[in-house]
Amino acid sequence: MDWTLFLEWLIKSLIVVLMLLVGFAYLTLFERRVLAFMQVRIGPNRAGWQGVLQPVADAIKLIFKEELTPGQVFQPLFTLAPIITVIPAVVVAAVIPWGPDVELFGRTIKLAVADLNLGTLYVAAVASIAVYGIVLAGWSSNNKYAMLGGLRSSAQVISYELSLALCFVLVTLMAGSMHAGEIVEAQRGLWFIVLQPVGGIVFLIATLAEVNRAPFDMPEAEQELTAGYHSEYSGMKFALFFMAEYIKMIAISAIAATFYFGGYREPWFLAGTWLSVDVNWWLGPIYMLIKVTALLFFMVWIRATLPRMRYDRLMAFGWKVLLPLMLVLVFVTAVGILAEAWWLIPVLSLAAGAVAVFLVNQALTKKWQRR
Amino acid sequence: MATPAPTDTLDLAARFPGAVTPDTRPGYTGWVVTPEKLLEFAQFVRDELGYDYLVNLCAVDYLPEDRMEVVYNVFKTTGGPGLTFKTWAPRKDPIEIPSVVSIWPGADFQEREAWDLYGVRFTGHPDLRRILMWEGFEGHPMRKDWQEPFYDEDVKPFKRRWPDGKHVYAEKRSVYGDNVYFKPGFDPEKWTPTDPEEALYKSLKKYKTETSDGIETDHIIVNMGPQHPSTHGVFRAVVVLDGETVVSLKPVMGYLHRNHEKIGERNTWLQNMPYTDRLDYFNSMTNNWGYALAVEKLMGIPVAERAEYIRVIMAELSRIQNHLILIGMLLNDLGAYFTPALYAFEERELILDVFEAVSGSRMMCNYFRFGGVVRDIDEDSMKKIRDLVFDRLPRKIEEFDHLLTENEIIVSRLKGVAPLSAEEAIAYSMAGPMLRASGVPYDIRRADPYGIYDRFDFDVAVRYNGDMYDRYLIRLDEMHQSIRILQQAVKGIPEGPISSQKPSYTTKVPPGESYGRVEGPKGELGFYIVSTGKPNPWRYHVRTPSFVNLTALEKMCVGTKIADFVAILGAVDIVLGELDR
Repeated sequence: MDWTLFLEWLIKSLIVVLMLLVGFAYLTLFERRVLAFMQVRIGPNRAGWQGVLQPVADAIKLIFKEELTPGQVFQPLFTLAPIITVIPAVVVAAVIPWGPDVELFGRTIKLAVADLNLGTLYVAAVASIAVYGIVLAGWSSNNKYAMLGGLRSSAQVISYELSLALCFVLVTLMAGSMHAGEIVEAQRGLWFIVLQPVGGIVFLIATLAEVNRAPFDMPEAEQELTAGYHSEYSGMKFALFFMAEYIKMIAISAIAATFYFGGYREPWFLAGTWLSVDVNWWLGPIYMLIKVTALLFFMVWIRATLPRMRYDRLMAFGWKVLLPLMLVLVFVTAVGILAEAWWLIPVLSLAAGAVAVFLVNQALTKKWQRR
Repeated sequence: MATPAPTDTLDLAARFPGAVTPDTRPGYTGWVVTPEKLLEFAQFVRDELGYDYLVNLCAVDYLPEDRMEVVYNVFKTTGGPGLTFKTWAPRKDPIEIPSVVSIWPGADFQEREAWDLYGVRFTGHPDLRRILMWEGFEGHPMRKDWQEPFYDEDVKPFKRRWPDGKHVYAEKRSVYGDNVYFKPGFDPEKWTPTDPEEALYKSLKKYKTETSDGIETDHIIVNMGPQHPSTHGVFRAVVVLDGETVVSLKPVMGYLHRNHEKIGERNTWLQNMPYTDRLDYFNSMTNNWGYALAVEKLMGIPVAERAEYIRVIMAELSRIQNHLILIGMLLNDLGAYFTPALYAFEERELILDVFEAVSGSRMMCNYFRFGGVVRDIDEDSMKKIRDLVFDRLPRKIEEFDHLLTENEIIVSRLKGVAPLSAEEAIAYSMAGPMLRASGVPYDIRRADPYGIYDRFDFDVAVRYNGDMYDRYLIRLDEMHQSIRILQQAVKGIPEGPISSQKPSYTTKVPPGESYGRVEGPKGELGFYIVSTGKPNPWRYHVRTPSFVNLTALEKMCVGTKIADFVAILGAVDIVLGELDR
């Protein structure tokens, strides 16, 4: 423990926080442009070249906007709620490695803010704190839409967290470690999305629910609850919620990339060439960026495509479909590892997924016929 | 439903001696029933004559004769012409007429409207509150002796506003309060309003506080609207929620109320044409047609052959763009972030281009005239229409079908939700796609043809489950049928004059009444007009589909989730311009 260590931590933290904040700003632009592209329109392109200054304009507008606090709110929690929402979103990105260990200035630097042995556990723990902010915002607003949004959010996040946690269990089983860096290294030859395809898909679904994105954006559900939990917020407080949502998107995409898409590792067909991370360490963050962008694009794409699920169906889907399916997947993965037959895992995983899809289909068909 | 007896062999006057007499005023048809026998007569008409479908109910104020009249237009869902009957009471408060809600539940909102605007007290109505005006409003504005602030004259053009042929706003000339009438003993300075919401909240069903497992549950009342992203305007629904489930619901409307009908009575006959555009601002073409049809019926004039074809083309294009937008916005209500809506808007713009080319305006077309249309279609527009009808629109409708119909989330959100059986749909006077989705193949274009629809080969789209999914599918079916009609109309359009009348600012309309009905994209659009031979209508009533279709909203929504309510409202396809009038 010397002062250089503190300096290292400080620099790394600054880099991560700045990346997230700048990423948030440009993610809004990215989302609006991609949505516009998918919706046969142009999108914001007036501020700067192709709209690159749009986030700046938005930020200035939000900062100078009057912050209106309605009279009936519970002031302490009303102020605290946006902060509680935004902090876990930033903090969760700490364990994500964005490159291999680097030898710089005569010391080994790990390209992750926190080199925790319990990486997956940390992610699960921090991610679940974020929901408090939303619930408190909904409750302290003293508004019926906000209340309904907050309640929906708490139920939804708790339900989907179970599946999400089991996804972490899968990853831990396959990698034999909870350490994020070791999980990435374990995917050197084979990404876990290939080894455990259904688990990866469930992870993507559960993350969508976890960050309240379409088609699971129940807590805001514009068409039903006007704006849900943040109905009463304006100005910078609203911007904090907005920020939390987008930072969570980035963080959760990074986590998905780390756990299922090989993290900062190059794709398998580039292994051994000069494009490998082993040869050029600086390619790690670039690969990470590409993967995160692809996942973010996927999220935006889903939003542009799918209508929202109904709240009760969402809960039923989480508890009756995803949770049992995940339990089965954990079981088959464990079987595959015990039998030391790696090929068994994807086969059993796909089989379980197929059975689940078939059963859901059957149940839905029956429901329609009964009516 | 009972087998209908042929009306012409039945003498209703002999069946109800002393209570029912034929309406013998010149230009009038139907029967006059005394209020005492009204319910018995209505029951007879519904059960034994088979007129199971109450379409229009409105009041007429005959001030010179000192009489308040209520007009009923009933039809058979098996098709054919309708039956008109009236009942009247002396014009002295309280005017009491029995309510027919027990026989036709669809009369609910229409009776409330008549009470609101005319002060006809319908005895036996379950929930007789004001509907377009607010509780606490003084007087009944449609009465002929009711005068608004800044009252000028009974009919336009107001002479006072044209001194020496120059236009002056009445508001500028009038000092505040100058010609505002207050009832004796009323001082606006000391007036405190009664809570206008009290009656509304009392009318909501109370949810019992149950104790299950020792936990007390309570309801919450949520006001959806008037400012809400998915009420399609300033519509408000007061919803009682048990968790996420709707327990009770009351629609509240009138935020956009401008007393369209009073304006209509002040206007000359022709001046009303552009006002009809503002009813359902998505379909000004069909609104024009409904009004033109009613007036032409009363005038007894033919419509030029080419104009008939142009009218069909415009009405069907209008239907297609309306249904496209409906599907897009319905998906939006389901939470699809604008993508389907914007895809729909892309096609709609092309149709609006055609409207702009022929009428000069994209939305407020003001295109029809009595006896024809106002301008001819030129060859460029015809080419545009041909491209749309034979190539682009069928392709795009297929694309919508392909992208949306089988989507899992759409199916699970729509299928089996809020079903309405055929009997209920008829009883609630549902019209248009909402009625046909419930398995009643009733389309005015076939059942009671107007214009030249009897010449075209098309099917009445019908679906049988009456749930949300069918309400979505029926729109696709109707677009396919509209394309069929359009293709025939575009091929068969003849050359010739576009109007049977000379263009003129004044219209001579003989005394009498008429009810013109067209199959608007949202349902039956009816215009009931009464003329006294003057240059202005004596009565001008619009039976709008949005308004009547909402009667069943509570019935459909109770028991569903709050998210479904939004979708149900979207599928009813309301437009506030014609809902609030």
